[in-house]
Amino acid sequence: MEGRKSFGAKKTGRGATTQGKDGQRRPMFRRRKVCKFCSDKIDDINYKDTRLLLPFVPERAKILPRRISGTCALHQRKLRVALMRARQLALIPYTAE
Amino acid sequence: MTRKYELVYIVSPEATDEQVAEVHTQVDAVVQRLGGQLEKTENWGRRKLAYEIGRHKEGTYVLEVIQGTGELMKEIDRRLKVLDSVIRHLTVRVDETQAVIDRTKARRSATSQRRRVARGLPADRQPGEGQRNDADDDRDDRFDMGGM
Repeated sequence: MEGRKSFGAKKTGRGATTQGKDGQRRPMFRRRKVCKFCSDKIDDINYKDTRLLLPFVPERAKILPRRISGTCALHQRKLRVALMRARQLALIPYTAE
Repeated sequence: MTRKYELVYIVSPEATDEQVAEVHTQVDAVVQRLGGQLEKTENWGRRKLAYEIGRHKEGTYVLEVIQGTGELMKEIDRRLKVLDSVIRHLTVRVDETQAVIDRTKARRSATSQRRRVARGLPADRQPGEGQRNDADDDRDDRFDMGGM
């Protein structure tokens, strides 16, 4: 639709298009990432809720960066606190081999 | 100044049920003595630890919700550090975060009600109306955030 902000189709900004060798523009389609906590309206990011937190700790048990998970800044901060608390209580690991 | 705290402690897996109860009564005694209030106790039972603490691979988790002052929590913290059967504990203040959560919830529902009324709809969502489809989970091709 004309004049309407298009959501969902492409990720804007860096990496939206790639310049080929011959200078040809190739559009790179990437889904726009949305913050899980915003879209699901989860207000309480709790350290006790491992089911909620576990998708944000990949194999190496590092915290999944925002650029990959798409979490917004506010929720990433809250998530980080929750993850660090959960780590203290051995609910999620600090490291994994 | 009373505040609300959450205390989680992990009792060593070798401890008997009586020893777990003993830790709880000790915490309760301190709470009573320093004029606090024990709101809730939850025993999560024996769980596997994500990493070894000392030589332990699992532990019994107990959650206590306590109303009280900072001094009270300090005292409990000191006591739990001394106890050998408690291998790990964590105190978190929850009243402020809970207030923030309630505020955002209230604001969100107020906004949606205002918008619904502006669109000429009843303020509250009717049953079976415009529900989110759980099946569109599969649009998310990189991560399965919902599962696990």
